[in-house]
Amino acid sequence: MALVRSLRARVVLWVSVALVVLFAATGVVLDVAFRNSLDEARRELLKVQVLGLIGAVDDAGGQLSVPTGNLDPQLQVANSGTYGALYTDDGGAVWQSLSLLGRDFPIDYLAVAGDERFERLDVPGFPPLEAFLKGLTWEFSSGRATDVTFAIALSLEPYNERQAAFRRILIGWFLGITLTMLVVLSGLLTFVLLPLKRLERQVREVEAGERVKLTGRYPSEIIGLADNLNTLIDTERRRLSRYRNTLDDLAHSLKTPLAAMRTLLAEQRTKAAEPAQDALNRELERMDQRVSYQLRRARATGASGLGTEPVAVAPIVDDLKQTLDKVYRDKRVRCSVEVAPNAVFRGDPGDLTEVLGNLMDNGYKYCKARVRVTAHSTPERLVITVGDDGRGITADEAATLFQRGKRADESVPGQGIGLAVVRETVDLYRGTLDVGRSELGGAELRVELARAGLL
Amino acid sequence: MRLLLVEDDPNLSRSLAAQLEQAGYSVEKSTDGREGLYYAREYPVDLAIVDLGLPSMSGVELIKQLRADGKEYPILVLTARDRWQDKVEALKLGADDYVVKPFNVEELLARVDALLRRAGGWAQSELVCGPITLDTRTQEVKVNAAKLELTSFEYKLLEYLMLHAGEVLSKTQITEALYSEDFERDSNVIEVFIGRLRRKLDPENSYKPIETLRGRGYRLAAERGAPDSD
Repeated sequence: MALVRSLRARVVLWVSVALVVLFAATGVVLDVAFRNSLDEARRELLKVQVLGLIGAVDDAGGQLSVPTGNLDPQLQVANSGTYGALYTDDGGAVWQSLSLLGRDFPIDYLAVAGDERFERLDVPGFPPLEAFLKGLTWEFSSGRATDVTFAIALSLEPYNERQAAFRRILIGWFLGITLTMLVVLSGLLTFVLLPLKRLERQVREVEAGERVKLTGRYPSEIIGLADNLNTLIDTERRRLSRYRNTLDDLAHSLKTPLAAMRTLLAEQRTKAAEPAQDALNRELERMDQRVSYQLRRARATGASGLGTEPVAVAPIVDDLKQTLDKVYRDKRVRCSVEVAPNAVFRGDPGDLTEVLGNLMDNGYKYCKARVRVTAHSTPERLVITVGDDGRGITADEAATLFQRGKRADESVPGQGIGLAVVRETVDLYRGTLDVGRSELGGAELRVELARAGLL
Repeated sequence: MRLLLVEDDPNLSRSLAAQLEQAGYSVEKSTDGREGLYYAREYPVDLAIVDLGLPSMSGVELIKQLRADGKEYPILVLTARDRWQDKVEALKLGADDYVVKPFNVEELLARVDALLRRAGGWAQSELVCGPITLDTRTQEVKVNAAKLELTSFEYKLLEYLMLHAGEVLSKTQITEALYSEDFERDSNVIEVFIGRLRRKLDPENSYKPIETLRGRGYRLAAERGAPDSD
């Protein structure tokens, strides 16, 4: 049942199906048994009635008659549903009960003497009947004998009604039991599924970065799952950190020789070798740009933040501000920070530091004297703006700005790959990067980051 | 000015040291963190250049130790990692600036110069003491707006005195700052150069820019014209 997603629905559905099948079968069996017992009882009654009728017959004077005084009162009451008749072998009815109200007894053939049988009758003017016919040879005291048939018919209506009533009760009980069982089952499921619910909630919290790992005691059936998830989270974290360490080592082992080459080139400058050295320097710079860009790009993981706490933005901005204030000390930049206390990032802290660092560095680099950093969170996104009072960014520049390695102003030294890295990182978090005009007069870069997805 | 360079790549270390020396600094080289820490503790150093990816002891650990020891001279970090977390961490631990590899040597020299200037309490690259003006960037010296021709060593000596204007500097201090370790020390040399500098700065012997404090050393007495507000 791939369509039924919920475990609870599955259990309820299948238990309902099982109960319906079980109760239907039980119902049929009980119904048949009840009918059989009703039939049995009715036939007993028919036999007793016939015996009563036989006992009531008076054969005084060689004539058969049925004095009413000895009869079952049901035979005397009009349309009582109990009918009787006495036939002799010449076909004539010696007696018919008053309950027939003058109609003929609905069966007129005779039973063979010594024979008896039950007969179902469906005759117009009568309810469905069952008749009992008993043929016997009546011996008069004179020694004469004649074949007679005693017949009693009983209406099936009261029996059918009892059968129907029995069915109603049966169905009522079964329905009641089924509903009660489903309610009990549902409650039981809630209780049984509680640990799964908790697991699901914790996974969601881990995903949202509100929880580092799954905790608490889980039942033996899912403890393996919980442990495996924890292992997965842990592995993911360690894999990420190993990956980054590898990148760091790679950066070190690629860039130190590059640095050595550049330094060596600068050391031995002669007039004659200058053009060649300049060309080499340019090549080295290009190599460096590519290596830097690829390494920083590879480092931006867009990691889910699985198993990490939400990252508060304010301390990172403060750290970066202090760093940049030191680095751009001589420029005496006034940087105003307006970060909402609730501004958090659900993702990798390194990625956030990279985005903020590049944006703020950009601001410090291109401003005249002032930079403004703001950040606030909505439940779904983190919105960051970095504005400055520099000359701003034109639409053309904005278009080329985010291409790899492009600088808006080639005259300011620095890595033009910063904003390209910002854009790549923002893409990983399904975010947006926009260029606008800051109220300080220069450019404003606005980044919106969505929360990271699971795994 | 005595610099400590802690860098494990031999080519980079040698070549960078050569260029720093060419720029007038005396340079101690060290190729691993522990050795660097030893030098930094045992020798007077005006500025340290520390690579973050060092064998035996990371640059970060080295910086932490130096600051824990109370060493206050500027530290310039060389790093191959250009991620902001590393930069932030290095500066938080007490580094003063960073240069990402592969760097431009001229830019590194400018950073070193700026750090030393700031450590001396100067905010601008132009140092002014009374009538003397020294531009650390162009290495030009003027007295009362008249340009002064100095030899390289004279310039270094004046720069050192001006960076520490108002402080008493012993002959040993000056020698160590201006010469590499292997230089044969002779305190008379400093006396000779101080004498020459005095004659060039103040030929009329009118304002006596450099004081001699008997038994203690020298002091640039002229008042700082552009005090730092940092």
